[in-house]
Amino acid sequence: MAKYDVVVIGGGSTGTAVARDCAMRGLKTLLLERDDIASATTGTCAGMISSGLKYMDEPDIVDMCSDEVVYFKRIARHIIEKNPILTPLLEMSDISSGGNFAEEYSKRAETRDVPPVLFLTPEDSLKIEPMLNPDLIASLYFEEYFIDPFALCMLQALDAKQHGADIKTYCEVTDILTKKGSITGVQYFNRITDKMESVKTKAIINAAGPWAHKIAALAGAKLELRLNKGAHVILDRRVVNVGVITKAIEGRMIYLFPHENTVLLGTTALDTWEDPDTLVASQDEIEYLLKSMEWVIPSIRDARIIRTMEGVRPLVPTWKIPEGDVTRGYEVIDHEPEGVSGLISFTGGKLVVCRHMAKAATDLVCKNLGVEAECKTHIEPLPGNSDDVDILALAKEYGVSQHTVERMRARRGSETATILELTRNHPEWKTTICTCEPVIEAELRYAIRETFPQTLNDLRRRVRLGTGPCQGTFCTFKAASILAEELELSGADFQLEIVDFLAERWKGKRQSIRGEQIAQEELAQGIYACVGNLDQALEELDYDLKPWEEVL
Amino acid sequence: MSEEEYRTVLATLKEEAIYPYTEDEMQVVKSVESCINCGLCIQHCPVVAAVGLDRFSGPRSIAVELSRSPPEYWTTADVVYLCTGCGTCREVCPKDVDIPEIVNLIRARIFKHRPDLVPKQLHAADAIIIEHGLAFVPWEDPEEKVESRDMRLERLGLRYIPDQVVKGADVLFYPGCQAEERAQEVKESAKIILDYFKVKFTLLEEMNCCGLPATLLGDDKTALELALKLKKKVKDLGVKMLVTTCAGCTSNLARIAERDAWGIPVYHMLEYLVEEIGIAKLSSTFKRNTEEKPLKVTLHDPCHLIKHTSRITMDYAGQILSLIPDVEVTQSFAHDSCCGGGGLVSYHAADVARAVMKENLAAIEETGASRVVTPCPLCTAQLEDNLFRQGSSVEVDDMTVFIAQRLP
Repeated sequence: MAKYDVVVIGGGSTGTAVARDCAMRGLKTLLLERDDIASATTGTCAGMISSGLKYMDEPDIVDMCSDEVVYFKRIARHIIEKNPILTPLLEMSDISSGGNFAEEYSKRAETRDVPPVLFLTPEDSLKIEPMLNPDLIASLYFEEYFIDPFALCMLQALDAKQHGADIKTYCEVTDILTKKGSITGVQYFNRITDKMESVKTKAIINAAGPWAHKIAALAGAKLELRLNKGAHVILDRRVVNVGVITKAIEGRMIYLFPHENTVLLGTTALDTWEDPDTLVASQDEIEYLLKSMEWVIPSIRDARIIRTMEGVRPLVPTWKIPEGDVTRGYEVIDHEPEGVSGLISFTGGKLVVCRHMAKAATDLVCKNLGVEAECKTHIEPLPGNSDDVDILALAKEYGVSQHTVERMRARRGSETATILELTRNHPEWKTTICTCEPVIEAELRYAIRETFPQTLNDLRRRVRLGTGPCQGTFCTFKAASILAEELELSGADFQLEIVDFLAERWKGKRQSIRGEQIAQEELAQGIYACVGNLDQALEELDYDLKPWEEVL
Repeated sequence: MSEEEYRTVLATLKEEAIYPYTEDEMQVVKSVESCINCGLCIQHCPVVAAVGLDRFSGPRSIAVELSRSPPEYWTTADVVYLCTGCGTCREVCPKDVDIPEIVNLIRARIFKHRPDLVPKQLHAADAIIIEHGLAFVPWEDPEEKVESRDMRLERLGLRYIPDQVVKGADVLFYPGCQAEERAQEVKESAKIILDYFKVKFTLLEEMNCCGLPATLLGDDKTALELALKLKKKVKDLGVKMLVTTCAGCTSNLARIAERDAWGIPVYHMLEYLVEEIGIAKLSSTFKRNTEEKPLKVTLHDPCHLIKHTSRITMDYAGQILSLIPDVEVTQSFAHDSCCGGGGLVSYHAADVARAVMKENLAAIEETGASRVVTPCPLCTAQLEDNLFRQGSSVEVDDMTVFIAQRLP
């Protein structure tokens, strides 16, 4: 039986950060993820590495967030972008609530290389963002950084791997083995090999996010979480020039953020007891977001909604207060006092502090194991960290369009040249597979070979396949055939891959489908059902309808 | 809010390559949002048909891929400058996506923020427009311009009607840069036609470009300056309408006249003849041709008329030709095919422009016509050049000239 110093459970931003930290400190590390990297909470967030703007009442958290932004800019600059943000003020009362924020934000602005909060006149605000309600009386202006959350997790995982860690996706922990109150190992079901497997370890870091309490329970430990769901509405293309933050109907803050080539409208915050795996955004959540944003962006309903996404936050369990008053800090819980030695769990936290959380937990594990090693995760860069990829030269050298190369750079950083080099032996791999992003065949092949995806959905997280306005209408069959070739899938599995991916896309489309997206859906159905006959093949394929799919 | 603070904001926008859309532009963006990626436009795009998707990824890619994020617009320069702006995509689109306008919008941003990525030939063209207010360098010696005009008149058997500037005339005849500086016979023919029908017309005291080439290369500022300058001249003359013989000018003037509230209609000469002079008058006008056999003619449709103005213009062209005795019109199968000269593509990618034209040439030869007629001096020049290169015996006439020659 294989033996590890530490087993990390969960492949989100925190789990991959922990695996990276542990591996960099020389611990023999295994990361187990029941699905794919960044497939749940992290994969449904807005990617904001926030300066802590919503939590100005917790100055130490704000300090922490601010520092972490600086570190991210150092280690992952190729997957970071900056968004200017406006908070339009429609009434005098909005101004008073902005005061404390402006002061706290501005204190730390310089370290992040952004200006302090500025007050803009209505005229200047409208020049920057003509979509704003012209009745505004002023706006607050500030700047925040954003990161590609999928890429962050993947790069942390890959970097951990390069430092000797084993990363196993599609391995669901089924039991935690203990002896006399101490952890001795982990048992898990490997979905790829269809087998139960187990490993020995004395330390487990439970970074399972909204499932963390279930993992703790496997060891007989108690963990409480306040699960809270949040929905985003994703709009096609950048319909706003800058980010917009405003008060929602009940006074919470919501936002509209340009993200890559889309705009994200979010988010809701509802305490939940639903299954995070099958959660979809509700009509109420969509209307709540549109109604709330409509005051400051009156034309928001004209924008094309591509889809929605919904995730679950594993908040620190503080009760009988509104969600917004729950700390955005995190807790590292050592279960030793309750008689489970070697198990460390997280509650709370957020994307921007994932590295900080990892450091805290890894420090504790090192202490417990008697290992002395310094944390370097804020110094050593992540793979591909570079902002000087010469787009024009690469486009010319490989005969690929500049835009294709630039989008590839945004996902891959300095790996771009390596991917393009593949087209020397395979000029046909310059074919565009996903026409919305775009993604060429070479990058798909590279992602399949280097970043261990098992499904088209996994590929989506790696290359943004099928995330554009057509939602997989034109890339699914092409990408499936490439995946089938690379992974040597059977004909039936190839078809199942297509159906699964379309079902996953449908999960996000169904609740919000309206306007142009209905026409788009007709086309998708025409291709896959009328032409591809996949609807007729379902029975033979032994396909189980997903909970969000209508019963035929 | 101090000005200095606002400059900080603008500096960030520039650094992040965020180029705010204006409210007008949002309408264009909104139209592009309705693309459902169906690909109909790819099947109809004359540039894609001519050079393939590897060279020009086509209108669909502009809609679903290239126009999604302003910070990335600069990366699209290798594609968007190859669009001839013919407008076929917009016409076949089931969702009315306005690709030609989004192309202009993207080009304008590239021009402003990454001028190094604009083809250098277009910078040269822009410099001429800025210096002279015309799309071409004007004749250095006015005498030579007159000589060239007279040679053309003689060759075509046209009489000379002196230029005139008359305040309060009914019609302002606007020749456009091509007919003013190069194809002078078109300008002269228009004057002949107006004179024949006893129209009270005027020319501009000083010609200036309508701004279309500046718009197409992305120099919105110059385009606007030219448009406003022209508006002032038009207003000062106090005319009731504007007539032009250039397809590009027709569509652009109609656009800016509405945008800038000129308050007068803009006509192409063909529209003017049918709608203002009238078919009845025209039908009794044309003289019997001296040629023994009927002349076999085919029509080329300028994109700026059929796709940017109105398809009815080419119906008028057909009607007018049918009134001229001894002319037999044969339909070309290359309906709607661009001459390749649009979008200023021929300035910097002559191979693409020529490839686009190739399909046209084959279609023209196929008709067995001995002459192509088209109501646009730019299309005429483009056709003439390519037919000549191919060694074809087919001749080309601007339709205004063709009509003027057949007046009694």
